[in-house]
Amino acid sequence: MDTAYLIETVIKIVILLLVFSALAGFGTYFERKVLAFMQRRLGPMHVGPYSLLQIAADGVKLFTKEDIVPQNVVGPIFKIAPVITAATAFMAAAAIPFMPSFTIFGYEVHPIISDINVGILYILGVMAIGLYGPLLGGMASANKWSLISAARAASVFISYEVVSGLSLLAPIMMVGSLSLIDFNNYQAAGVGSWMIWSQPVAFVLFVIAAFAETGRTPFHLIANDHEIIDGFGTEYSGMRWGLFFIGEYANMFFISFVIALIFLGGFGDGSVGGALALLGKVSFIFFFFLWTRAAWPDVRPDQLMWLCWKVLMPIAVVNIVITGIVMMF
Amino acid sequence: MFEAIAFYLFAILTISMFSIAVLTSQALYALTSLAAGMIFISAFFFILGADFLGAVQIIVYTGAVLALYAFGMMFFDTTRDVVEKRTSPMLVFGMSGMAALLIVLIFAAPIVSDNIAALYPVQEGVGNAQAVGMVLFTKYLVPFEVAAVMLLVAMIGGIILAGKKMDTSLTLLDEDKSPLSVETNEKAAS
Amino acid sequence: MSFEKFKDRNVGEDGYYMVDIEDYPETGWGKFKQVASRSLKGELFVGLWVVLREMFKFDIHTVQYPKEKLPIGPRYRAVHKMLRLFESGTERCIGCGLCEKICISDCIRMDTKYDENSRKEVTEYSINLGRCIFCGYCAEVCPELAIVHGGRYENASEQRAHFVEFEDMLTPIDALKAGQQEEFPGFGAIIPGSDKSVKKTPLAY
Ligand code: SF4
Ligand code: SF4
Repeated sequence: MDTAYLIETVIKIVILLLVFSALAGFGTYFERKVLAFMQRRLGPMHVGPYSLLQIAADGVKLFTKEDIVPQNVVGPIFKIAPVITAATAFMAAAAIPFMPSFTIFGYEVHPIISDINVGILYILGVMAIGLYGPLLGGMASANKWSLISAARAASVFISYEVVSGLSLLAPIMMVGSLSLIDFNNYQAAGVGSWMIWSQPVAFVLFVIAAFAETGRTPFHLIANDHEIIDGFGTEYSGMRWGLFFIGEYANMFFISFVIALIFLGGFGDGSVGGALALLGKVSFIFFFFLWTRAAWPDVRPDQLMWLCWKVLMPIAVVNIVITGIVMMF
Repeated sequence: MFEAIAFYLFAILTISMFSIAVLTSQALYALTSLAAGMIFISAFFFILGADFLGAVQIIVYTGAVLALYAFGMMFFDTTRDVVEKRTSPMLVFGMSGMAALLIVLIFAAPIVSDNIAALYPVQEGVGNAQAVGMVLFTKYLVPFEVAAVMLLVAMIGGIILAGKKMDTSLTLLDEDKSPLSVETNEKAAS
Repeated sequence: MSFEKFKDRNVGEDGYYMVDIEDYPETGWGKFKQVASRSLKGELFVGLWVVLREMFKFDIHTVQYPKEKLPIGPRYRAVHKMLRLFESGTERCIGCGLCEKICISDCIRMDTKYDENSRKEVTEYSINLGRCIFCGYCAEVCPELAIVHGGRYENASEQRAHFVEFEDMLTPIDALKAGQQEEFPGFGAIIPGSDKSVKKTPLAY
């Protein structure tokens, strides 16, 4: 382990943190704008031209707001919960190849922090730990809405982990590796070799599970504003709440990358065009997250559980069995 | 060098986390530190090159098992300290410490005399998942299958226990027949 | 963009229809069929298409308030105005004090004196908008149609008590000359066509 490697890794981590924290801010701006246009509104308009500086204004607001820790909460846990959400979101990014490797000043850079050979499993695992943010935050808040939201977070995460894991199993069987780079190379031949054509069922299942695990709208129950206020975030203020926010949006970006890499061909053959195509795919998936928020209603928690255990999980298992049979003969 | 530093760092972290889990009387602290300890343990797998087991450790213990503990904790007020009834803490502490030490000695003694050698060292060119799979489906096939059947039995048992009344919908039930209604509860009480 | 359609408050019966709601499925199979048909029939994609179409049409209905304002109804009761006589341009208020008397919030204060023509003249007149509830009684009671309600509804102020003076409410004389004073059709105004319903006072006693 030489020093160059160490320095490279540290630089990569810093860039990742900065880029995706900023992107989380831009994500909120895009979300507000897209939702507004879809609902025939204008969205934010006043901070700067087309309110492009809204992010800065929001950032200043979140940073300077008083950090309130209510009286009956379990202090340390309450304080650490938002950090868990943000941290796990960024930890998951360690195994995601964001771009094909390129050479700069004669030094080859792999835009992945650590190419461990169980990348997908690691990402799933770390996203599963993301559960502890809402869970601990909700349970430590001494607030009934927060507690309900914590219970929902636990049940949704545990259930949909099963679906996302099982749905990914079939593609993993076909590729024969758990590394996202291997996945990408498997589909490098072009659009025809994308995983979405050979595993459409797994794709749909994984996208549904992704919605549940990021808590986006059709499954937006963990912090469902119109019934449980802000769920686990009810008692939070200022930057602690901001960390929850950054975690949520960073998670959305990372899961978009994962979907694009596993099912939509990733960065293809690794050329510049491939890298741009990957960014395009990721943007589209991110846009899809916002799009559904404008179009679809929320489901009830019991419907969510019903969907997971009685519909999606059996389909996922059948999908694995069929894939296995096809691969065997 | 890095590995040694990482090992000691995570060893200290793991031990302190588990100590908090044992020593605290605040249920949430215990849950959090237990979960954190489980994650820190996975670091040892990563240091040893067993990435697969490390990720599985995170998913299974932290992601699933402890989340189920958390479900149990929803039923009581986690913001209060738990009042424990201790008759003679010194005795309990001494006895359990001795027992733990004894167990470690019993298991560690033959290994130490054996000059620790890995039974299935990480092979070059064979992925972690493949290596685990090969061992599981050859040498440990029978225990693996037995465990699978046991889990299946447990799952079916769980479904049967929980699913008895699952066909009746509380929403669609008549007001007076609902287990939530006041009258039913009064009738049951009298 | 015109605001015409927002002014049309005449919401009729037409265009409304009952949404037919399917019965709630009782059995597991029924529920499964419902989910399957809902997911496969493409209703979800209809929803997606509708919002996407709206996004590209870019038919924005936002009113950017401080820059644009929706027109308010002509009978809206906001901050008062004092009108002038159209012919002579003198102020209509004759200082009778009825508005002060009737005001239920007790927020009108006025003082009068006789001027050189032995005509009553208002020297002090103020309305405390912090207390005014914009009930319109003052406009209704005014025998001269002098005090009426205007359209200025932005009452933000640093203080609770926020007064308007007679001079602020009075139509400026040049505005009157420019023909900008309009009769208020709201509370207290003469009903259109009321001439016909007026009976001559019988004098033949
Ligand atoms: S509108 Fe009503 S409350 Fe306001 S000044 Fe006139 S009478 Fe008084
Ligand atoms: S505004 Fe009308 S009611 Fe009030 S004092 Fe003048 S004339 Fe009389």
